[in-house]
Amino acid sequence: MKSALPLVLDLTGRLVVAVGGGPVSARRVRAFVDEGAAVRVISPWVCEDLRDLVLEGAVEWQARDYVDATDLDGAWLVHTAVGESGVDRQVARDAESLRVWCVDATDAATTAASVPARADVTIPDGRVTISTYAAGDPGLATSLRDGVADAATRGDLDLRRTRHRTTSGWVALVGGGPGVDGLLTARGHQLLRSADVVVVDRLAPRAIVDRLPASVRVIDVGKTPGHHAVPQWRINEILVEEASRGLGVVRLKGGDPYVLGRGGEERLACEAAGLSVEVVPGVTSAVSVPAAAGIPVTHRGVARGFTVVTGHEAIPGLPTGSDHTLVLLMGVSQLSETMTTLVAQGRSADCPVAVVERGFAPTQRTTVGTVSTIGALARERGVESPAVIVVGDVVRLGPEWSEAVAGGVS
Amino acid sequence: MSLDLSLTGRSVLLTGIAHDAGATIHALLRDGAHVTVTAPADPADLPTSVRDLAERGLIELRAEPEPTAYDVVIRAARATVPAEGSGAGEVILVGGGPSDAGLITIQGLEALQRADVVVHDRLAPLAALAHAPEGAEIIDVGKIPRGEFTPQERINAILVEQAQRGRTVVRLKGGDNFVFGRGGEEAQACRTAGIPVTVVPGITSSVAAPALAGIPVTHRDLVQGFSVVSGHVPPGDPRSTLDWGALARSGTTLVILMGVATLPAVATELIAQGLAADTPAAVVADAGMASMRTVRAPLDAIAETAAREGIGAPAVVVIGAVAALDVLA
Repeated sequence: MKSALPLVLDLTGRLVVAVGGGPVSARRVRAFVDEGAAVRVISPWVCEDLRDLVLEGAVEWQARDYVDATDLDGAWLVHTAVGESGVDRQVARDAESLRVWCVDATDAATTAASVPARADVTIPDGRVTISTYAAGDPGLATSLRDGVADAATRGDLDLRRTRHRTTSGWVALVGGGPGVDGLLTARGHQLLRSADVVVVDRLAPRAIVDRLPASVRVIDVGKTPGHHAVPQWRINEILVEEASRGLGVVRLKGGDPYVLGRGGEERLACEAAGLSVEVVPGVTSAVSVPAAAGIPVTHRGVARGFTVVTGHEAIPGLPTGSDHTLVLLMGVSQLSETMTTLVAQGRSADCPVAVVERGFAPTQRTTVGTVSTIGALARERGVESPAVIVVGDVVRLGPEWSEAVAGGVS
Repeated sequence: MSLDLSLTGRSVLLTGIAHDAGATIHALLRDGAHVTVTAPADPADLPTSVRDLAERGLIELRAEPEPTAYDVVIRAARATVPAEGSGAGEVILVGGGPSDAGLITIQGLEALQRADVVVHDRLAPLAALAHAPEGAEIIDVGKIPRGEFTPQERINAILVEQAQRGRTVVRLKGGDNFVFGRGGEEAQACRTAGIPVTVVPGITSSVAAPALAGIPVTHRDLVQGFSVVSGHVPPGDPRSTLDWGALARSGTTLVILMGVATLPAVATELIAQGLAADTPAAVVADAGMASMRTVRAPLDAIAETAAREGIGAPAVVVIGAVAALDVLA
């Protein structure tokens, strides 16, 4: 084939004549049927898969040999895969004389039309079809197709629509993880690459947002302690407004949308406006930031469970044993008061505490002490948010504890 | 693996077990196929992850299936063994998140793509194994509840031995390695042996399983905290060290992992310790898989409801006001 123009055909209700009853024919006939074509199969015998299609009533079967061009009457497309070169060449010639496109599956060199390798990939905006053609080399075409399909699935490509949607837009609440690009999920990444609008706050992984094309609108609703931020009701409103305009909206949050992230409110607001919402969990800072400091929140023989609470509200009564790990988010400003509360509740003043600032950043810093000493230590070292506070024996498993003990600090 | 055909509703037979059988089966199940696996003569040859799928009723095992009775037959390729590496190996502990291939992190995927060896168990997102290189060795150390198991010490030893051969070893687990994942022990074992170890956090099922069922573990005006415990030892058992009373009174959302079998005892204990009998509760089974199911009931009826609905492990139990959310979905 000297020229290779790819075309997308709408076969709905159009007749396709397939000559041959083997597996190649069966595979292609199935694809034609899936596209809504009316298919007539001409072959003295059919393989099991084709027989199933006949039994389903999906295709018409004429159980005989191919005769001549009259067998192709009314066809928009012809497919031949008999495997006897005399017959296949004749079908191709007859189609040619009728000026009907013919796929000769038995001869890649001379066929007038070819079926490319194909994959249907579901991206946030629905199904897309990827097809590749490699000058008659099906193996190479398949490899290229898989590469593009993989890249689309992982979000390595710009997946935004460039035409207006005919349907309404969508909202996805994506957990961005603790702030490192690599800890975003594959699904989150794919959604980001499909979004027209990205709504972020200061804890979302910003590097990945900065690398999005300039035409993606980024709305910063960031909350910096002590500074004005967009109130939650207004954030909800922005999500609804943008999606209602037919846009794809990603609300990218730090950590997980449902761990003290108010994702539930955002979802309910969007659903109340009749919008579909996808929630993509993220790597929560409550677990991953301690891990980054070498502290597992559970550990056999050391901690049997953990509780995550916000440190800027009243601390509920919790198991007081140091084998129950307590993780406090947003708790730096009230650290001393919180420690006093924990002691009043019965937790030992000697229970180890770690404060991990700027988890995963190059400037990550861990301060260790005990329930009774951590408040003063944190003040001395100028500890500030964002930070994750871990209380419990698991703190002893991290490298900072051993160093602190060796240095006699605690 | 790529599937060119839609296998929805079709019967598929897998003969022989390839190293990536788990990934193949998960791709087939996701596509809606009815999967049968040829049972090997020696049941010990069956990877525990595959046996587990059979015990959960998601696939069928047959000793001598008739291949012509199936729409599609997939023959397993012989497993290959990676070359010995030169120089120092490394171990990467990867949290794979719930069994949804989209919920593994980019770093986790990248680690898998350069793995010489992947060590996984039955709760790992098996579909993600397809990202391992063709020649990678896949070692299944899966544990089945109350059945035979690979002791943790043996898993630690496998990680160390493989890395000492100069290989890049990925330890792939479901959820997060540090949330009841024994990742701390594995990291310690590697460090003791002088093996470099990296931790790639994952999405913990304790948060994601409820989320996928539409249940936020925290929700403004309802609850501002959650507690995660393991339920594998029932309250009252001499091995139990959990303070169920404090948990019952904490007012936080309670998330219980590995707690289906002990749910009747746990619910009774929580009510006895003062948690209201009508507290909303939910059990989410097979989170992230096509077979995911959620049941909801008040705390005093949740165990019976889950049993009646045939909910089995792996499942995550959520107790608290948030378990009643998702009325709109």
